[in-house]
Amino acid sequence: MTINPYVPIVGLLILGALFALFSVSVAPIVGPKRFNRAKLDAYECGIEPAPTPIGGGRFPVKFYLTAMLFIIFDIETIFLYPWAVSFDMLGLFGFVEMVLFILTVFIAYAYVWRRGGLNWD
Amino acid sequence: MEQLKLPPIDYGALLPMLILFGAACLGVLVEVVVPRRARNAVQLSLALLSVVASLVAVVLERGTRTITIGGAVAVDGPTLFLQGSILVLGGVSLMLIGERSIERGGVFVSQAAVTAGSQKDAQQAGGQPGATEVYPLSVFALGGMLLFVAANDLLTMFVALEVFSLPLYLLCALARRRRLLSQEAALKYFLLGSYASAFFLFGVAFIYGFAGGIQLSVVHEAVANPQRSQVLLYVGLGMVAIGLLFKAALAPFHVWTPDVYQGAPTPVTAFMAACTKVAAFGALLRVLYVAFEGVRWDFQPVLGGIAVLTMFVGAVLAVTQTDLKRLLAYSSIANAGYLMVGVLALNDEGLSSTMFYLVAYGFSVLAAFAIISLVRDPDGEATHLSKWAGIGRKSPLLAGIFTFILLAFAGIPLTSGFTSKFAVFGAAVEGGQTWLVIFGVITSMLLAFPYLRVVVLMWLSEPGESTPAVSIPGFLTSAVLGLGVLVTVALGVVPAPLIDLTREAAQFVR
Amino acid sequence: MNAVSTGEQVAFWILGSLAVIGALGMVLARNAVHSALWLVVTMLNLGFFYVINSAPFLGFVQIIVYTGAIMMLFLFVLMLVGRDASDSLIETLRGQRIAAIVLGIGFAALIGTGLARALGSTFTVGLDKANANGNVEGLASLLFTKYVFAFEVTSALLITAAVGAMILAHVEKAKEDKRDQVTRMKERFRPGNYPGPKPGPGIYANTMSVAAPARLPDGNGAERSISPILPVRELSQAEAAPKGTEK
Repeated sequence: MTINPYVPIVGLLILGALFALFSVSVAPIVGPKRFNRAKLDAYECGIEPAPTPIGGGRFPVKFYLTAMLFIIFDIETIFLYPWAVSFDMLGLFGFVEMVLFILTVFIAYAYVWRRGGLNWD
Repeated sequence: MEQLKLPPIDYGALLPMLILFGAACLGVLVEVVVPRRARNAVQLSLALLSVVASLVAVVLERGTRTITIGGAVAVDGPTLFLQGSILVLGGVSLMLIGERSIERGGVFVSQAAVTAGSQKDAQQAGGQPGATEVYPLSVFALGGMLLFVAANDLLTMFVALEVFSLPLYLLCALARRRRLLSQEAALKYFLLGSYASAFFLFGVAFIYGFAGGIQLSVVHEAVANPQRSQVLLYVGLGMVAIGLLFKAALAPFHVWTPDVYQGAPTPVTAFMAACTKVAAFGALLRVLYVAFEGVRWDFQPVLGGIAVLTMFVGAVLAVTQTDLKRLLAYSSIANAGYLMVGVLALNDEGLSSTMFYLVAYGFSVLAAFAIISLVRDPDGEATHLSKWAGIGRKSPLLAGIFTFILLAFAGIPLTSGFTSKFAVFGAAVEGGQTWLVIFGVITSMLLAFPYLRVVVLMWLSEPGESTPAVSIPGFLTSAVLGLGVLVTVALGVVPAPLIDLTREAAQFVR
Repeated sequence: MNAVSTGEQVAFWILGSLAVIGALGMVLARNAVHSALWLVVTMLNLGFFYVINSAPFLGFVQIIVYTGAIMMLFLFVLMLVGRDASDSLIETLRGQRIAAIVLGIGFAALIGTGLARALGSTFTVGLDKANANGNVEGLASLLFTKYVFAFEVTSALLITAAVGAMILAHVEKAKEDKRDQVTRMKERFRPGNYPGPKPGPGIYANTMSVAAPARLPDGNGAERSISPILPVRELSQAEAAPKGTEK
C-alpha cells in the first residue's frame, strides 16, 4: 500500500479537527455566563478598529511586488527539490544544469535588488 | 540507482535561441550595472546585435535537419525559415521600438508604476526617457517565438508559448500616451491569453491520455493506430487548436485583437502583428502537419469554417472602423483567415505559400504601423480616421507610401499582397479546398473597400484645422519604412527567390 | 494493471465533492475575498487528489505553490476592488450570465461524458514503471534529461515575471527624493513644526477608538491626535455609553 505513510498525517488532521471542535463546543456549556458589554468589544484590551476607509480598504501595490517575488523564488525551490533528491543519479550535467538555472534566476534577483525592489520604502 | 544520461544535444541547432536568451539575460544585467543615461544606446545595440548574431547562426545551420535534446526541439526547413523570418521581422520591429527621435523619450513610459493621470505622471510624460527594460523583454519574446516554431513536443511548445506571451503582455502596458487605454489592453490580453493557454494545456493532457506521449511523432503514431478512444484525440486537438488559434487571432478567438492593437504602443503592435503571427502560424503548421495529419479529414472542415468566419469577421468589421489602428487590427484578422486557407491546403505547397505569406505580410504591416507612429497631434498619435482627411495634400510622400501599403494589403498586382494571396489560394485549390478560395476572393473584394476609403480620405478631402502634423522620421523609422516598402515591392515584382527558398524549406522532420 | 481500490473510491467521492463545492462557491460568491477562500478549498483538494493518485510530490507542490498563488490572489482582490466590494448585479452585456451558465454547464457535460466514455474501462497503465525508483526520482530523471530545455527556459519565464512585477509595481525613487537622516531631522525641527510625539487618541475619552480625538485639558478634542487618513466620526450612543465594567 502506497498510502500507508499518510495515515499518521490523516490521524493528526482528524485529531486537530476534533480538538478544535471540542474546545469551541465545550466552553459555552461549562463556563460561567456573566454579562459584560466590554466582552462584546472586538478585543478586550486593544483599540477598536477604525471605520474602513472608502473603497473598502484597498491595499497598496507594494505587497504585490513582495508576493510576486516570493512566488518566483518559491518555484525555484520546487525545482531544487527533485534535483537534490536524485543528485546521485544525475552526475555532472545535472549539477551544471542546476547551476545555470540558479544563475539565471539570480539575474532576476540582482535586478530586483539593485532597483530597490527589496526596500520597503 | 543507475546513472542518468544526458540526451545528445546539437548546440549548433539550438544556438539561435541560446544567443537570444543569453542576450536577454545580459540585457537585464545591463539594467543593473549601466548608468541610466547610457542604457538606451547599450540596450538597443545589444538587442540588435543579438538578433543579427542569431540570424547568422540560423543561416549557418541552413542545412540542418535534426531532432535534438531528447526530442524536445526539431530543427528542420520550416523551423529555420520561420526562425529566420521572425528574426528579420523582429530586428525591424526592434528598430521601431528603439526610435526615440519622434517623441521626446520614445513611445514607452518611463515608470509604468506611477499612477496614470497623477501629477508625477504629467512630469514623466514631459520627456523622461522611456523604460529600457523593453529591449530585454522583446528579446525574451523573440527567443520564445524561435522556440515556439521549433518545439517538437507539446510541453516545450507550451513553455515557449508562455515565454513569448508574458513579455508581450508587459510591453502592451507601457505606452507613454493614453496610459489607461494601454493598461486596459494589457490586462485584457493577459486575462484572455492565460485563459487560452489553460485550454492549450488541458488539450495537451487529453492528447497525452490518447497517445501516451506528447512528442509530435508519438502523437502521429497514435493517430495512425489509435489504442484509445478517439474522443480523447478530438477533444485534445480541439483544445490545443483553441490555444494556437487565439495567438493567431482567428475568429471567434479574435476579440482581443482590436483592443490590444489599439491600446498597445504602436511599435509593440507592429511587433505583435508581424512576429506573433509568424510564431503562432509556425506552431499551428507544425502541430497540424506533423502530429495530426492522420485526422485531416476531420479537422479540415472545422478549421475551414473558422477560416471563412475569420475572413468575413475581419473584412466586414474593418469596414465599420473609425480608428486606423483598429482598422489594421481587423485587417490582420482577415489576413489570419487567408493564412489559414494556406495552412488547410495540407500539402507542401500550402506550407511554403503560408510561410511566404507570413514574411510578405509582416513587412507590409511593419511599414504601415511605422507610418501611423509618424502622424501625430499634441495628444500623441492621431489614429482617428477623421484626422487623416486630406493628409495627402499636406505630406504627399508619406500619404503615397501609405497608399501603396494599403493597396498591397488589398492585393493589387505588383505588390507582395497579390503574390502571397495568389500563392496561398493556388495551394488551397491544389489541396482540394476550392470553397475556401471562393470565400477568400469574395472577402478580399470586401476588404478592399475600407482600404480604398482611407486612400480616398487621404487624397480627396481638404485638410482641415485639426489635420495633424507629420513628424520627420528618425533614422530608425526611415529604415523600417524603406525596408517595408522595398520588400513589399520586391516580393510583388520578383517573388521567385523567396518562393524557391520556402519550397526548399517546406519539409518537416518527424 | 490495477483497479481502483475502495479506499481510493471513498476518498474520490469525498474530495471530489468538496472540490466541486469549492469551485461552485468560488463562482457564486458575491464577495471577491470569499471567492478566493473558496478557491483554496478546491486547490487543497486537488493537492490531495494528486497524492492519492501516487503523485505525492506534485500534491505537495500544489499545496506549497498555491499558498503563494492564493496569497497573490488575495492581494489582487484587495488591491483592485477592496475588502468589502462585492459583485454588481448589473450585466454589461445583456444575457451574458445566462449564456455563460448554459455554455459552462454544456462544456462540463461534454467533457465529462466524453471522458467517461473514453476512459470508463481503462485501467492504470505504466504507473508502477514511472514510480519504480520513487516518485521524485522519476520526475527528476525526466526533468533533467528529456525536458531539460523546457526546464532551463522556465528560468526565462521567472526573469520576465520578476522584471514585469518590478516595472508594473515599483516606483523607483529619484536621487533627490532620497533623504538622509540629517535632512529629515532638520525638517522635523523646522519652526512651525511640532517635534514632540502627538497626543495618543483616547486620552480622557470613554472610547478606545482610534477615530475618536484625544481630550485637551479644556475638554476640547485634539484634532492632531487622529491620523489624517481616518475619517472623523461622532461616537454612536451605544459606543459612548458606559461599558458596565463598574459592576
